Amino acid sequence: MKKLITTTLIISAMLVLAACGDSGSDGEPLQVYTHNDSEEMDAMVQDIEENTGVELDVLRLSSGEGWSRIQAEAPDVGADMQIGMLHGFGIKAEEEGHLLPYESDEWEDVPDKFQQKDGEWYGTSFWYNLIAVNEDIMKEKGLDVPQTWEDLLDPQYEGEIVLPDPGTSGTAFLFVSTIMQIMGEEEGWEYFEQLDENVGQYTKSGSAPAQMVAQGEYAVGLTWDQAVYDYIDEGYPITDVIPSEGVGYSLDVAWIFENTDQPEKAKKVMDYLGTQDFMELSAEYRSMVTKPGITDDSGLEESFIDYDAQWDADNRDRIMKEWQDKFSN
Amino acid sequence: MSNEASRQSRTAKLASDLRQFWSEPWFAILTMILAGAILLFIVTPVFAVLYKSFGMDASGFTLDYYREFFSRTYYFDSMMNSLGAAVISTIIVVILSVSISLYVTRSTSFVSRFYRGAALLPLVAPPFIFSLSLIILFGRNGIVTSVINSTFDVEFSIYGFWGVVIAQVLGYFPIGYMLVESTMRNMNPSLEHASSDLGASQWKTIRKVTLPLSQTGITKAGLLVFVMALADFSNPLIIGGGEPFLASEAYLLVVGQQNLEQAAVLGVFLIVPSLIIFIFQTYILDDSGLETISGESGASNAPLSRRVKTVVMTINTLFVSFIILMFVMVVLGAFVKIIGINNTFTLEHFQNRNGWDSLYTSVFVSFVAAILAATIGMLQGYLFARKPIPGKKALEFLTLFGLAVPGTVMGIGYVLIFNGSPFFLTGTVLLIVLNMTFRKIGVGLEASISKMHQIDTSMEEASSDLGSGPYRTFGKVVVPLLSPAFIAGFIYTFMTAMVSISSVIFLIAPGTNLAAVYILNLAEQARVGMASAMSFVLIVIVLSCMGLLKYIEKKTGVSI
Repeated sequence: MKKLITTTLIISAMLVLAACGDSGSDGEPLQVYTHNDSEEMDAMVQDIEENTGVELDVLRLSSGEGWSRIQAEAPDVGADMQIGMLHGFGIKAEEEGHLLPYESDEWEDVPDKFQQKDGEWYGTSFWYNLIAVNEDIMKEKGLDVPQTWEDLLDPQYEGEIVLPDPGTSGTAFLFVSTIMQIMGEEEGWEYFEQLDENVGQYTKSGSAPAQMVAQGEYAVGLTWDQAVYDYIDEGYPITDVIPSEGVGYSLDVAWIFENTDQPEKAKKVMDYLGTQDFMELSAEYRSMVTKPGITDDSGLEESFIDYDAQWDADNRDRIMKEWQDKFSN
Repeated sequence: MSNEASRQSRTAKLASDLRQFWSEPWFAILTMILAGAILLFIVTPVFAVLYKSFGMDASGFTLDYYREFFSRTYYFDSMMNSLGAAVISTIIVVILSVSISLYVTRSTSFVSRFYRGAALLPLVAPPFIFSLSLIILFGRNGIVTSVINSTFDVEFSIYGFWGVVIAQVLGYFPIGYMLVESTMRNMNPSLEHASSDLGASQWKTIRKVTLPLSQTGITKAGLLVFVMALADFSNPLIIGGGEPFLASEAYLLVVGQQNLEQAAVLGVFLIVPSLIIFIFQTYILDDSGLETISGESGASNAPLSRRVKTVVMTINTLFVSFIILMFVMVVLGAFVKIIGINNTFTLEHFQNRNGWDSLYTSVFVSFVAAILAATIGMLQGYLFARKPIPGKKALEFLTLFGLAVPGTVMGIGYVLIFNGSPFFLTGTVLLIVLNMTFRKIGVGLEASISKMHQIDTSMEEASSDLGSGPYRTFGKVVVPLLSPAFIAGFIYTFMTAMVSISSVIFLIAPGTNLAAVYILNLAEQARVGMASAMSFVLIVIVLSCMGLLKYIEKKTGVSI
């Protein structure tokens, strides 16, 4: 018996050493926060590691969750880099001085509006809000396909709408912010109070509604573009609706944290994010990327509202506080 | 005068205790390190939460956050939901435990062993796995739901309070069952025989003899299940459908709003019931009285009569089939595209590098934590049982209390304490290991103390008479004797650490993500396939580890 204990102790010591040895080869892996979906991020990480030789450790947090974590940790943020985050948070993080400016040559041909002046953050791709609709359920329950944001308030959808929670989900906050920018705040709040009556469930992640609608759990879901297109490609009975008032869009940005202790590796990764290779990979998961000539986004711009990301950055705290007061969560 | 004398004798005793305590300096130093660690890793986090709930260090003492708690029906609802779900889950678990125990303790057939195994199966899965299966089956478009809806023309949905209750019953059943079963197994069957010889029917015997005799065990089981269900945070997140529950709300307050003060208030309302129950169980619930009538009698329990068996077996079979169905759904979910919608076979859910990384981290962290917890528990058990340590009762209480503290509270406490000097540990694997270890050392400690009380000191005396010093005696005599306690502590910690989530979810960082947390994250993205696949692998790993231990047990002859 004593032998058994000794053996286990030795094995555990070896495990510890093995774990240390793992990371000891080329210093620590680069630590990365992301709000990207697990599937997409998994492919990206593999690609980045193969092409830069930099090892990545990734933690996925919904945008709101990630942002409150960054704020709690700052100035000692627990990651070196962020790959994939809301545009508005990029602006805020820059204003609060959490970001390390780096001017990368690889990003030269990306239009200036997609990057911060001194290279504090770079936008890799675009995404926008969409309504996902399950056609089978609509038919079965005799519901009309909503065409406008206003339509969602119709009592016929009572309990049939799934919405992400803007406290944790960036998708949901983009939606809240869009409605506020279209309708103005006062009417916006009225809109959400009425919408709340129809909402069957609030989810933590912005992609969850797409899957729930695909599975037929709910008839209508508020989500983002690629989450819906993935399921359409796989043959699920869902369609996307771009409401006629227009949708809000957001840039997906990447940045390096000011307090990183591996700036060289982070810069190497940032360079790679701007390359044709990465942008092409990114385009497999996103409908639009920022590097010109890879994705065809003609026509889409008409559907976009004149979305103001700075408004996002300036008003999020206040809006979210009121949201929590009104909807208790 | 006599007062004076008693005080003097007390002081004298304390002085002699202290002298003796220091006579083996290494043990003394070890004890002090242990005491310090228990204070730092179990007690301080709880107090940090309490302290924070009064808004300290941000705005000075304030009751605002408590006022907020009571002024919002939302928070009050979360408390009522948590308490309500915990009470109902507990009652159901107790009834089911009794039913299955009645059968399993009276039969050695294959069916009985199979039922026992199936009943324990939920132990090896993350506690929220049943929420996933329930949604697949009973979600708004679930496989069973469609049938129900079209047959009865009703709108049925599992999301909400009742979904949480069912998930909790499934997840926490094994804990209650193990306690009830062991009580019933240790009961002296001659009392039942006496009852039936005197003409009582088996129903009457069960009601008047068996259940009263197992009352303490059943109460204990119920209290334990209640505490765990109250602290449950993952099921409300997945299947709660937006209904507020204390633990999940506290978690969302932290991750969504960084409102640690309000989360701390919710934590206080979680910890108060747990503390009351813990004290009640430790000091008031008397479990010594009934032990005297147990013991070897040679006779075995009377098999169940036909009528009783029919009732019991109906309940058991239904429940066991339900558990198995849940696991089957997980396995199926892992191997098809989207279960119930697109049932094409696929292995793509397993191609998930981050998932495998997190599994590796989980195994590694749980293993180290289990070794640590078992070692510390064993050491502490020996010291507490044999050495005159000042204040050891209090330390023992605190260590065991670590088991009762809701994970969410512990997690928030760790965030509060270790996110700054003097112990900046946020984001390290070490912090996760320490959290898992100190929440569980109570099990090894309890096992070691009870083992030490069974062993007469004569062996240790013999060793020291033969010239061995105290440390050699400990190594050569005590450690081998305590090995079953070590193994008990190891297994418990390893299994619970592999699937634990409520506390460590606050402590993960890039590179230290754990499998259970990762699976919950997938579930939040509604990635049922990937979540099922990772759960499946996690279950297989835990089961193989248990199998390995069973094999070692057979080889070495040590009972586990």
